[in-house]
Amino acid sequence: MTKKELVQMLEEIVEADPDTLTGEELIEDLEGWDSLAVVNFIALVDENFGITLSPEKIMNSKTVNELVSLLDGYIK
Amino acid sequence: MKAVIKAIQYHLPETVLSNEKLAVDNPDWPAEKIVKKTGISKRYIASEDECASDLGVKAAQKLFENNSCTPYDVDYLLFCTQSPDYFLPTTACMIQDRLGIPNSAGAMDFNLGCSGYIYGLGLAKGLIETGQASNVLLITAETYSKFIHPMDMSVRSLFSDAAAATFLRGEKNNGDFIPAIGPFVYGTDGQGAENLIVKNSALRFPKGTDHNEVAMGKCDQAGTSDNLYMNGSEIFTFTLLSVPKAVYALLEKAELKLKDIDLFIFHQANKFMLEHLMKKLKIPEEKFYVNCQNIGNTVSSTIPIALKDALDDGLIKKGNKIMLVGFGVGYSWGATLVHWH
Repeated sequence: MTKKELVQMLEEIVEADPDTLTGEELIEDLEGWDSLAVVNFIALVDENFGITLSPEKIMNSKTVNELVSLLDGYIK
Repeated sequence: MKAVIKAIQYHLPETVLSNEKLAVDNPDWPAEKIVKKTGISKRYIASEDECASDLGVKAAQKLFENNSCTPYDVDYLLFCTQSPDYFLPTTACMIQDRLGIPNSAGAMDFNLGCSGYIYGLGLAKGLIETGQASNVLLITAETYSKFIHPMDMSVRSLFSDAAAATFLRGEKNNGDFIPAIGPFVYGTDGQGAENLIVKNSALRFPKGTDHNEVAMGKCDQAGTSDNLYMNGSEIFTFTLLSVPKAVYALLEKAELKLKDIDLFIFHQANKFMLEHLMKKLKIPEEKFYVNCQNIGNTVSSTIPIALKDALDDGLIKKGNKIMLVGFGVGYSWGATLVHWH
């Protein structure tokens, strides 16, 4: 999976319009980012990468780019 | 002697909490969103004066009404709950009296949540197969709704009140030494205690204690520490890490492959979690039973309720191997096989 595909996945989770996330956005400002979105993100990462992200690491990510960087080494 | 499940009955309270009703109380959560996120359409709520023991008694009485057993057959009563009537006396003792079970019977409560049915089956098997009891009545019952803040949709949308009663009998092996229940695998990780908790519920903290968790960023849910708190993402992560391991450990212990199992009944936490586990474990959909849509998460009763519904749906035949997996609050988990007789 590429970084772009991962961001697209995130757009689906938070119900944002396609190709609207630049990476600079603050996670807490995303309207659809709630506890269920976190669970959804963990599930999709588990399904696509076979790794279980720690919720704490997700919650500590401030921007979309920081969240995506949790998968450095796994994304192309 | 082997312990065999002879009959299961369950009881749901009268009051139904639909997604439409939830949406009225929480306008940010329209009914379609609730069903999309949780896969649950309705749940059942005990009335103000209805306790877990009341639900449990009704479930057990259905066993008697259906002639599955009589109160006189029961020589050990196991009652699993986290919402007992009192700290003391033991709720099981009062249930013994209410059901007319003889004074010669043993009775005890045990406090477990979503793993409770597996542990109950393990205890019942131990009691029967060591000759301590002949017939065990295992009742699981919860009224989590009494712990839930009305504005906390993260838990209110999932949990339901219910009780299930399972009658287990000791039967002679008659040359057939395949266990009817077992083997078992268990697991515990108390480090997860804080992630599913009613903090001000017993003697550690009196009701009303302010832990200032909102300010500490530990609690982003509605409600206070007097209410049920669930950290959904931590619970989900725990499930992803523990359930597949438990399934593989049980298969190894039973010397079976995944394809040898006829039906999988997991704790019915919510549809999203179940579907993810099914995909992760590569279990064929037709072998993976899900019935939380119209009942909700009834904690320790989800597995016996699903087992009973699967039986009524004609999905279980004599000789079938059914894998049961319970996991949740504690953290605590367990899995076993039922070889249907």
